[in-house]
Amino acid sequence: MAYFTQQLINGLTLGSIYGLIAIGYTLVYGIIGMINFAHGEIFMIGAFISIIAFLVLGILGVTWIPLALLIVLIATMILTPVYGWALERVAYRPLRGSPRLAALITAIGMSIFLQNYVQLVQGARIKPMQPVISGGFEIMREGSFTVALSYLQILIFVVTVVLMVVFTLVIARTELGRAQRACEQDLGMAALLGIDVDRTISLTFVMGAALASVAGLIFLINYGVIDFYIGFLAGIKAFTAAVLGGIGSLPGAMLGGLLIGLIESFWSAYFTVEYKDVAAYSVLVLVLIFRPTGLLGKPDIEKV
Amino acid sequence: MAATPAIKPFDFPDMFKEAGAAAIVVFALAFAMVGFRTEPVPGGLGITLRFADVAMASVIAFAGRIALILLREGRPFPVLLTTLPFAVILGALLLADQALASENGSGFEPVLPFSSPVVNWMIVIVAAVFAGRAAWAVRHARSTVTAEEREATMDRIGARVQQVARYAGPLLIGFALVLPFLPIADRRLLDIAILVVTYIMLGWGLNIVVGLAGLLDLGYVAFYAVGAYSYALLAQYFDMGFWVCLPFAGIMAAFAGILLGFPVLGLRGDYLAIVTLGFGEMVRIILLNWYKFTKGPDGISGIPRPSFFGLPFTRYPAEGTVSFHGFFGLTYTPLDRIIFLYYLILALALATNVFTLRIRKLPVGRAWEALREDETACRALGINPRNTKLTAFSIGAMFAGFGGSFFATRQGFISPESFTFIESAVILAIVVLGGMGSQIGVVLAAILLIGMPEFFRELHQFRMLAFGAAMVLIMVWRPAGLLAHREPTLRLSATKRLAKAVP
Amino acid sequence: MSAEADIAASGKPLLTVEHLTMRFGGLVAIDDVSFQAADERITSIIGPNGAGKTTVFNCLTGFYKPDVGRLVLHHPNGDFLLERMEGFLIARNASIARTFQNIRLFPRMTVLENLIVAQHNVLMRASAFTLGGLLGSARYRDAEEEAVDLARYWLDRMGLTDQADWEAGNLPYGDQRRLEIARAMCTKPVLLCLDEPAAGLNLRESAELNELLVFIRDEHRIGLLLVEHDMSVVMGISDHIVVLDYGRKISDGTPDFVRNDPAVIRAYLGEEEDGEEGYG
Repeated sequence: MAYFTQQLINGLTLGSIYGLIAIGYTLVYGIIGMINFAHGEIFMIGAFISIIAFLVLGILGVTWIPLALLIVLIATMILTPVYGWALERVAYRPLRGSPRLAALITAIGMSIFLQNYVQLVQGARIKPMQPVISGGFEIMREGSFTVALSYLQILIFVVTVVLMVVFTLVIARTELGRAQRACEQDLGMAALLGIDVDRTISLTFVMGAALASVAGLIFLINYGVIDFYIGFLAGIKAFTAAVLGGIGSLPGAMLGGLLIGLIESFWSAYFTVEYKDVAAYSVLVLVLIFRPTGLLGKPDIEKV
Repeated sequence: MAATPAIKPFDFPDMFKEAGAAAIVVFALAFAMVGFRTEPVPGGLGITLRFADVAMASVIAFAGRIALILLREGRPFPVLLTTLPFAVILGALLLADQALASENGSGFEPVLPFSSPVVNWMIVIVAAVFAGRAAWAVRHARSTVTAEEREATMDRIGARVQQVARYAGPLLIGFALVLPFLPIADRRLLDIAILVVTYIMLGWGLNIVVGLAGLLDLGYVAFYAVGAYSYALLAQYFDMGFWVCLPFAGIMAAFAGILLGFPVLGLRGDYLAIVTLGFGEMVRIILLNWYKFTKGPDGISGIPRPSFFGLPFTRYPAEGTVSFHGFFGLTYTPLDRIIFLYYLILALALATNVFTLRIRKLPVGRAWEALREDETACRALGINPRNTKLTAFSIGAMFAGFGGSFFATRQGFISPESFTFIESAVILAIVVLGGMGSQIGVVLAAILLIGMPEFFRELHQFRMLAFGAAMVLIMVWRPAGLLAHREPTLRLSATKRLAKAVP
Repeated sequence: MSAEADIAASGKPLLTVEHLTMRFGGLVAIDDVSFQAADERITSIIGPNGAGKTTVFNCLTGFYKPDVGRLVLHHPNGDFLLERMEGFLIARNASIARTFQNIRLFPRMTVLENLIVAQHNVLMRASAFTLGGLLGSARYRDAEEEAVDLARYWLDRMGLTDQADWEAGNLPYGDQRRLEIARAMCTKPVLLCLDEPAAGLNLRESAELNELLVFIRDEHRIGLLLVEHDMSVVMGISDHIVVLDYGRKISDGTPDFVRNDPAVIRAYLGEEEDGEEGYG
């Protein structure tokens, strides 16, 4: 039971990261119907900007952790979305309305480009970081096994929940959210009704990137090590999460993220850690074969 | 977009505002990622500052944006007058720098915009492209090319290249055949040639799946791996030779293609792509972790080399056997084996090509193309979409399997590391760049993308960066691929008319 | 409705639709529709936009699976229960060919290739499922020549011979419509289903189309099933008309019967009171 609880906590932590990235996939897919394959790289860039910000703050002598964390959070949430914005502007906007496969190939190209760009400017070696937050509660003890809920994990849950609520409200209540939902229904019609479609799409990318950058920051402080390659795997798993939850659905993305996180952590705990990625891929394949609309997605009737 | 007349009043503040915005965006992009480089230092990470590069990038973005706006607004003259001298002077400076550096160890870096010569060269190229466009605009007295014009021009070029290929193809093959005996052919060149031809073969194989059938397969490398491991394991456990294993590797890969393809080929295009990517990674992870069977990350070594009809390429053949050089009374040279490997892959690649060209003109090939064009219409014509896709998928896989077993026998050692997603992406980039469905395009793209970086090692670290950028640019400019041109599989004018009329 | 019996008597039944019902979520697109189509006759399904005509087609040709209903094709080789067959099998085994409301050609393949692809299954067998074709068997060569001849016949009939080597996507609209019909005919169907074939055609093209459909009925002796929302197009050539409105069948009979049926006038013609005279 204790072991189970610990895995549950770990899985939810991991799931928060996947969920935050998955929202970016789902928002973009909802609005322009493309798989933004480079979204994982945005997450990776978010993690890099976070580590750079931490290092700079260390040099500047900002050592009070809460302040440092807040500054890093703001820095990465401002600087990373520029990449999301530029990505859309440079690579995807010219291709709007072209076949899905062309857009996907572009996205893959962008993913490769960003990965190698980061490798070039920041080096290929892994980047380690000291743990920022340590300590936590001991919530259960069973023999020699203790279940720990660290302060860090609590912080992750709080941040994730707050962001989820904020973004859900943005989409449900604000002008921007209404414009997004209109574009989701019909881009052409939305444009006719005076919605600035370009701006709405750009902002969607910016929102997705902001959430991914937070996921990057969480990843960094949770695991303490990053490299230029982390975006690939995290991106695919987050995409799996988005598909599992029902691509296009915001709560679906979060739910899918948590489920993928749980599946991965329980699989590692009770089966084989080596095959945890295979488990995630299998979920992706099975969902796409048997329920392509995911858990919370809307069915999509083929028009002939 | 129609050509903008040059007489339109020109808004300078607007131009500077736009260029300023571009500079700010580039600054924001580069500020953290380029400005602060994380460096490992004892006890953690340190930071090196590179703000000069950030500033330079912003300045270049500003200038480049202004050039673009001027071109767009029909004022190519100032662009031509600035970019051309800039490109020439910077190019000359770079050449001088290289000459100087090779002579006394250091050139005059402080004058150059960036520390990396490759980045500097890229700037020269971009400036030259701007100058070229400006010159074009000056000559034709208008600034913009419409998308249709560009498409039509590229179509013509594609058609021309394919026409030329009809005559140049045999010449190229002839050149490829005599290459090992040319005086330029040393070990290094042959190794590169083998590599390039391997990728040409893989590109042709993937072209069946992506170019003809329109199925984006991002896990192609899985079948390459299946072929390589089939041979390696058969040789390891059953002591089987290359020639026996080659067809078997192809069959295994094709079988893997059917197995993986069957459940998923009904999926929509982009989902299919992601699923194939998942399969590719799954195969790699299984190879990595099934230690008992595949030796995991240690890989399989000592994979037997191919023999020439049973004659091995060894200096000292085993007791009771005759080696290649012994049989033909030649003096032993290690190059013999390389040359043989070269011919082997050349033959495999040519077989792939001949097969593709033939099958395109058969019903199944036409059905592939029809499926790529419109699956719904195909169903209404009684074509079984799943089976037809499955044949394309598995035939493509089969060629990857052949390629894989060649890879195994050439390297003598394989491990899962050789079969990552990046490998699939490289092969896909070759197909996309060359032009989906274009056989000659694949050859040119493979030479460009594989051969060039091998020759110019300093390009190597920029290789994948360029791959990514190329994929994006091609999709933006010409989604069908640079040299895409579709030759009809049959023409009415070329068929003879039968006398009887058919009701 | 005695007219239904008349129709069945006037030609041998080719298609029997019984109690066809199709729902999308809560929306009932087709509600318990039954009708028959006879061999060597032109049967038209008409109705205002949104009446469920195309949905009937999509059920017939296997693109949708109906919720309830029996769709039987009386093929010379025996009866086919269409609701149980996959789409491509309906085309291949039951020999039903169709065209689409928004034309679906293979735009980057040539006109001739479009017609050859339509003969895929015949050619596949002749090429011994590719093997014989790869080896260059004489049987395949002959089969391909025959396929080209059939294509040539239809090209001549449609007046497309000179454009045979054009990319299909470059044809003018009217030619694309005719090419799609030619492509359907190259599958040698027993029932040809046309989804709004006159949409987007001008008067002259429309008249030519009618002539073509009558030609197909009389010369190739197959059944035709048309979907059309504009009654005037089909009145002149149809042998039998089925009228749908809001997913229900409201009338069924000869053009004369339907034209005078009060239910039709109410539901359909009532909308067009500004005097459209003389159908076809």
